[in-house]
Amino acid sequence: CNDLLDIDPTSQYSTDTFWSGSDEQYAAALVGVYNSLMSNYLYFNGELEQATPNEISYNSANGTREIALGTALSTSSMFSSCWANSYKGIGRANTFLDYIDDADITDEDTKNQMKGEALFIRALLYSYLVDYFGDVPLILEAPASEQETWPRTAKDEVVEQILSDLDDAASLLPTSYSSSSDIGRATQGAALALKARVLLYNERWAEAATAAKTVIDLGVYDLFPDYRGFYLPDNENNEEVIFDVQYQSPDFLHRRDYECYNLNRWAPLKNLVDLYEMTDGKSIDESELYDPENPYENRDPRLHQTIAIVGYPYNGKTATSSLLYESGYGLKKLTVYTDDETQTISDNNSDLNYIVLRYGEVLLTYAEALNESLSAPNSEVYWAINTIRGRETVEMPELEAGLTKEEMREAIHLERRIELVGEGQFYSDFRRWGTAEELNNGPVYNYLGEVIETRSFNPDRDYLFAVPSSEIDENENLTQNPGW
Amino acid sequence: VYSQSTKLSLDFQGTKISDILMEIENTTDCRFFYQREQVDVDRIVDLKVTEESVGEILDKLFQEQGISYKIMDDNLILLTTNKEQAGTQQTTGNIKGLVTDKTNQPLPGVTVVIKGTSNGTLTDPNGEYHLKNVPSDAVLVFSFIGMKTSEKEIAGQAVLDVTLEEETVGIEEVVAVGYGVQKKVNLTGAVASLSGEELKSRPITQASQSLQGVSGLYVNQAGAQPGFDGTTIRIRGIGTLNSNDPLVLVDGVEYPLDALNPSDIESISVLKDAASASIYGNRAANGVILVTTKKGKSNEKTSIEYGNYFGFQRTIGMPDLITDPVEFMELRNQAQINAGKTSVDYSDDLIEEYKAGRLTDPYTYPNNNWLDIMFDDAPIQNHDLRFSGGSEKATYSLSMGYQDQDGVLMSSGSHRFTLNSNISIQANNWLKVGANVTGIRQYIQAPTAGVYNVMQMTFKAQGFHPTYLEDGRYANTFIKTPGHNVYRHPIVLAKEGHRDREQQRALVSMFAEIKLPANLTYYAKLGVNSYNYFYSEFVPEIEYYQVKTLEASTVDFYTSNRNRHLTTEDDRELNTTLFHTLTWDQTFNDKHKLKLLVGSSYEKFTSGYHIATIEGFLGNDLTELDAGSTNKDVSGDSSANALVGFFGRLNYDFDQKFLFEANLRYDGSSRFADGNRWGWFPSFSTGYRLEQENFMADLPWVSLMKVRASYGSLGNQEIGNFRYINLIDTGIEYSFGGSTNAGAAVTAYNDPSITWETTTISNLGLDAGLFQNKVNFSVEWYKKRTKNILRSVTLASQVGDLTGPVQNIGAVDNTGLEITVGHRNHIGKFSYEVQGSINFNKNKVVDLNDDEIISGKYITKEGYAIDSYYILEADGIFQSQDEIDNSAYQNSTTKPGYLKYVDQNNDGTIDDDDRIIAGDAQPDFTYSFNINLQYRNFALTTFFQGVQGIDTYPQGIVATPFWYGTSVTREWVNNSWTEDRPNAKLPIMTTYELSSSDNFRNSNFWLKDASYLRLKNIQLSYSIPKSILSRVNAKDLTIFVNGQNLLTFSKMKDFDPEKPITSDHYYSYPSVKTFTAGFNLKF
Repeated sequence: CNDLLDIDPTSQYSTDTFWSGSDEQYAAALVGVYNSLMSNYLYFNGELEQATPNEISYNSANGTREIALGTALSTSSMFSSCWANSYKGIGRANTFLDYIDDADITDEDTKNQMKGEALFIRALLYSYLVDYFGDVPLILEAPASEQETWPRTAKDEVVEQILSDLDDAASLLPTSYSSSSDIGRATQGAALALKARVLLYNERWAEAATAAKTVIDLGVYDLFPDYRGFYLPDNENNEEVIFDVQYQSPDFLHRRDYECYNLNRWAPLKNLVDLYEMTDGKSIDESELYDPENPYENRDPRLHQTIAIVGYPYNGKTATSSLLYESGYGLKKLTVYTDDETQTISDNNSDLNYIVLRYGEVLLTYAEALNESLSAPNSEVYWAINTIRGRETVEMPELEAGLTKEEMREAIHLERRIELVGEGQFYSDFRRWGTAEELNNGPVYNYLGEVIETRSFNPDRDYLFAVPSSEIDENENLTQNPGW
Repeated sequence: VYSQSTKLSLDFQGTKISDILMEIENTTDCRFFYQREQVDVDRIVDLKVTEESVGEILDKLFQEQGISYKIMDDNLILLTTNKEQAGTQQTTGNIKGLVTDKTNQPLPGVTVVIKGTSNGTLTDPNGEYHLKNVPSDAVLVFSFIGMKTSEKEIAGQAVLDVTLEEETVGIEEVVAVGYGVQKKVNLTGAVASLSGEELKSRPITQASQSLQGVSGLYVNQAGAQPGFDGTTIRIRGIGTLNSNDPLVLVDGVEYPLDALNPSDIESISVLKDAASASIYGNRAANGVILVTTKKGKSNEKTSIEYGNYFGFQRTIGMPDLITDPVEFMELRNQAQINAGKTSVDYSDDLIEEYKAGRLTDPYTYPNNNWLDIMFDDAPIQNHDLRFSGGSEKATYSLSMGYQDQDGVLMSSGSHRFTLNSNISIQANNWLKVGANVTGIRQYIQAPTAGVYNVMQMTFKAQGFHPTYLEDGRYANTFIKTPGHNVYRHPIVLAKEGHRDREQQRALVSMFAEIKLPANLTYYAKLGVNSYNYFYSEFVPEIEYYQVKTLEASTVDFYTSNRNRHLTTEDDRELNTTLFHTLTWDQTFNDKHKLKLLVGSSYEKFTSGYHIATIEGFLGNDLTELDAGSTNKDVSGDSSANALVGFFGRLNYDFDQKFLFEANLRYDGSSRFADGNRWGWFPSFSTGYRLEQENFMADLPWVSLMKVRASYGSLGNQEIGNFRYINLIDTGIEYSFGGSTNAGAAVTAYNDPSITWETTTISNLGLDAGLFQNKVNFSVEWYKKRTKNILRSVTLASQVGDLTGPVQNIGAVDNTGLEITVGHRNHIGKFSYEVQGSINFNKNKVVDLNDDEIISGKYITKEGYAIDSYYILEADGIFQSQDEIDNSAYQNSTTKPGYLKYVDQNNDGTIDDDDRIIAGDAQPDFTYSFNINLQYRNFALTTFFQGVQGIDTYPQGIVATPFWYGTSVTREWVNNSWTEDRPNAKLPIMTTYELSSSDNFRNSNFWLKDASYLRLKNIQLSYSIPKSILSRVNAKDLTIFVNGQNLLTFSKMKDFDPEKPITSDHYYSYPSVKTFTAGFNLKF
């Protein structure tokens, strides 16, 4: 009778059979690790720009608006989805890394490369966790129930692990892939660029500069000439992209285009728009070119390449305040919409890749890290920053020579904020620079200069996310961050 | 149940004839009728027969005594002496008369016999009898099942009318129990039953409705979507953390209640305690519902029954929303200002424009009430036709049903065809075979975007959201509402495209019953329950036009990832059941009655599906897969699980006084790993019928007095398949360079050591019938402990964000008391019946390894009910800034008028550590009562149901004010805090999205009491007098009017309190009140 009860699953593998299987099964397991990136990037990293005075989202079900206003609670879904989605990918990478060494894969290079890819993704996800939460449980083995009670590990220790994973990954990964069917996989450049970012975020300036320089010296990457164009579907996987999350219709889709155009989410604020320099390289307060009647003329060309403005062309027509109803501005970057062509993208029908690491950021990291590590900026610092400003479609004047370290720091901070707008970095940047409590405390404005809402940033609390209360409910050994 | 054609094997030594007759009565459904003066039943005889019919046995017993027998209708066997009275011939004459019951209803089929002879007749369908050549001094004996036998002297009359009294004592009502039947008076477990009589002519649309009112059952009838039975049935509370649905068996084979035509039900038994249910051990932990479908009767002419009803349904419990567009805009602006926002959504210019515009241009400036637009009274009609009857060797019953029901929500409805046939054949003197086919075919239409979305969008649409342009095209609004930027036109979402389901289910079963030597009976049944459905959803591309600019855009159907597309699904299930039993019964020394049953069962459940999606249609008119072209997507899967069980039962009965029963079951389930698969589930029960004792003879007003006790355990394995193996899912894909790569990942963590969850139930019961059972009373106490509860445990996300394992965790107690009291009587031609029951149940987690499971706003913790609310405690409303400053820190936005939360741990700030356990979603008690009145041919029946002490926590549109651009109920306008209204019931009016971190934090302030008392059913019927019917040869014609859910008493205002028990929103299909009228006709 027992035989009648022996029934095996027909569409799933058991762990016993799977890992003794073929190369294809290992390849699939690695694909499963990459798969976890999709939920992460779309729903949380770019969104965090809304928690800075760069953007506003009227309707943020995920809690960015509450973070911006300083009213968020530890139950915010932004905190829990960030935590859970990161550990989802970490768990899959850990499982893969547990088995790959004993895998029966004949080609050693392939095996090394696969291992490097998984290490990169694990490091990437931990880099977000430490940036947002500080100390987090450091788990490096395949998920097991006993890990459920593990407490948080000191941030420094996690960072050391990230760096070591990235060094390993860099040594195992190729600089590029010859086959087009491998585009999107992690490369040596990706590992090094991430390493530069992590070192920069941790103010390890000299090491960060070195890591960034290594990426630059690889000779693989360059700025894409067209600032608007590097983030358009026609130019996906261009020379500026170091690592991105790949989407592909009809199976891998997101809703960013729909939300930006139809819902005016990611609505840029006047607080940001006013920071774009005039074409003479001066601020709107200082430049003679600034005409309050025509405030959007003669501005840093990146302004119109990034932001849709009432009265200017947008998606084949002239943008109106009822279209850009939230702030009078709309985000063009990270969407498919251009000025002259009309496109209708319905909900959940976008497949534009989400860029995680790009050469422009590496140059900015190099400039900032080097400037901080020196007593005064040298020519390398100028070179890096002016390369960004000198992009073919930007062509902003070079920075004035002879800036002090502090002046250069100001310039780099502004350059970084403008160049990387919308890509989610500013939420990390203004916290590590300590400027968040100043910039996000007070009113934010729409294009007419009217106050939309008043922001609040509590320096005793808001430099870190709350550990999600649902996680503390599950694991009482998790401590909460201060103030939450 | 057996007929008199059943072959019996008997072996009696030195036994009274009366005991032999009683034994025959017990094993067949024959009833003997005789005069003690004529038939000497105290005679002691030896009798040994093998496989002989009742007739043959009677011949052996009585032939030499000059006693003959006559088989009447209803298996009544009349024993009389052969000898004609040879005495002096007296004057004879003809006599006739009418036999009625106390309500003056004619009684057909009453046996009328001249005392001391075998001469007699039966009353005709009009209750009349005629006898010829009756001696003028003769005495007539009138007898009828269920009535007291009456003797009347003719005394020379030519007409003799008689009224028979009901005899309730000794009605041997038989109820279905596991793998057999049992006399109701001999039950030792907790079994509730409903006979066909109680179910008759109630125009219920779903079979589950017939269970309402069964003591100890909680039946929640949520929503009235045609084709979807929103019923939740709970027997004695929530025992497990998994499925709490009882096992439903139709004629012994598992079959869903909602696929059964209510008019095919003959009777229902509900097995509540472990002792009754444990014979179905492996899946009986939540109780068992046994449904018996109608069968034919042997030696009965074909009867034809036709019944129908026609009526309509109307929504109940709909919210009182602000629908005036100008009022809404002003209120919402005010709410935003109240919440501290500096800019508002609707400008003064817009509001002025609207005020002026709506006077002249209702197309651009509409004033729509969307509840009126989307909901309408909906017709329902039902027809049932049945043929039944039988010969001596075969019985049959064939029925067909048709129901056509429109839904109250636009574009919802169902057509249902049902079929039921029961045939049984006595092939020879040892073999009986039979077959049952029950089937349903149903077409269900639902709104294209689905009920949930259309309900949501209907609640979401404001008065200013337009329906049509003047030229009839769909209209789009010109008003932007942040949070509700995209107007999803409810009419389009409901009407355009389609969402259809065609489903059929058939239960085909066959049985064989073989009489073996030595009183052994072997019974085997094979049942196949096959279900499949075809689902087709076509989402069209519909343009709508902005009322001012006429700019066209496409209506968003809320279906993710796809434009115009078709999705079809083919789903199949095949469940096979095979069981066989061997029974043996024997009576020793006249008083010791023993019955043994052993058996085994095997059940296998297989299922599978295909889903296909395609886009690229050229228009909205062709909607087949082949008419599409691009973005094809397919998926499919299949799975199976199986159960094997061995069981045995022993019944012992001493002189009908002491009753004892023991069950043992040994079960295996494929859902557990080899080694953890098998479980033992024993049970015992005993009963003592005090009224049978001699010492009770002094208390003649006690007609029934029985005490019962039982104890036993049951198993539960209702978890997903393969939860004991760690699995790797495929289909976790990713794209590199534009092409999809196959991917795989672990997504769930499983625990290989899981095994049976065990429920142990102790039950004490007392049944009493007083004053000829005019008053009946029953009380049950139970304690149900579920151990090794199988539950999906959440893992901390740091463990790879995996779905947690199913584990055997902890124990839960359900303790309860069920009391039923009834009284029936008649005063002249007026009779009445009052019956009420109340069921208390307390649910408590008793062991959870000192752990607690917190999930959202619910907690499961030792000492509290499962899934209790775990939320902040609100302590009124802040009246001043001063009060805020002197209280624990709430949030930076807190202002006067906001809710004040209690700082439980006194740390000066309100956070998750301040949560308390506050109520749960399980009723403290449920109750029901019916009052039935009858006067002459009129009958009025009512049924009330109530639920007390149940908390619900609704959120979302309607439940929460201005939820993402939506409206607010009138209550907020009248009862929210303002400076002038400091004692208001509700806090200051704010929008949800601006207050989710303060006013709308999860707190007990928002718990709603969903207690209610509802008139579920009221029916007035009139039976056409038999005297009229007999002229058209009809046996019965009853006409009726019926109303369901006509009255509700509840504190809950915004939605029907009888909503899905655990849902925390109002987007489910609304409940309805139904008015119907119809008739039942029988030939």
